[in-house]
Amino acid sequence: MTATDDGLAAEYAAIYAYGAATVHLDGDPRWVAESLEAEHRSRRDALLDYYDANGLDAPPALAGYDFEPLTDAEGAQQLLLEVEANVTTVWRAGLGSEPEVRELCLDMYIDAAVALARWRIAIGSAAADPWPGRPE
Amino acid sequence: MFTTRRGLLVGAAVLAAAGCTREKAQIIISDADLTAALHTARALAQGAEALGYSDIAQDHLAHVSTLERLLRPGKVGEVEAALPADATALAEAERTGSAEAAEACLKTGTKYAVLFGELAASRAAHAAVLA
Repeated sequence: MTATDDGLAAEYAAIYAYGAATVHLDGDPRWVAESLEAEHRSRRDALLDYYDANGLDAPPALAGYDFEPLTDAEGAQQLLLEVEANVTTVWRAGLGSEPEVRELCLDMYIDAAVALARWRIAIGSAAADPWPGRPE
Repeated sequence: MFTTRRGLLVGAAVLAAAGCTREKAQIIISDADLTAALHTARALAQGAEALGYSDIAQDHLAHVSTLERLLRPGKVGEVEAALPADATALAEAERTGSAEAAEACLKTGTKYAVLFGELAASRAAHAAVLA
């Protein structure tokens, strides 16, 4: 698995999670979730273009992803918080790559950190984070 | 050379006085990009604090602390920077700081790539929050 494979896998998982979680949300969190899901789809498409342009085989999305069944807004918010944190961590891990891959990972990582901050604000959490995606 | 314990002690004292003893080795890091990142982090911390964004200022102070530690034993003096007039100006300064760190991330060896990337991402997130 390359850094971009890992990143694409994380974007696939995020799109799946938003598809399951957004229906449980209302108000600002719902609006922000729809916006962030669209961003993940855009990033997935950009990555697929990258694979195509470089003659590489993109890993496919899984048929399903395993997470606890969602029953309410609180569970949906928490799932999406974990998803955004995970996407940020995965792209951060690609920063040690060679320069041509690093640039792609950096762009994705910055976008992911912004999305994580936006989601934190949407659910009433503090957005400040000196080291976005750094594993604890 | 030193045949008695006293001779050894005297000899050691003479060598020390002459500056011939080995100091503990220290790694000195002098990196223009680290220094620039430190100046930016200090300016952003002051700007955020002046406008009442203490949580954002704390992020920048964490960056300052890490960058100062990496640059030790060197000391980087403070550079006076104008404070942002409002949140819009601070957001713009955050965006500029993010671009500066992103550029450093792409041109550095892998050693500090993650650090500069983190600075770029954190500053970009601040800019988005302030916008």
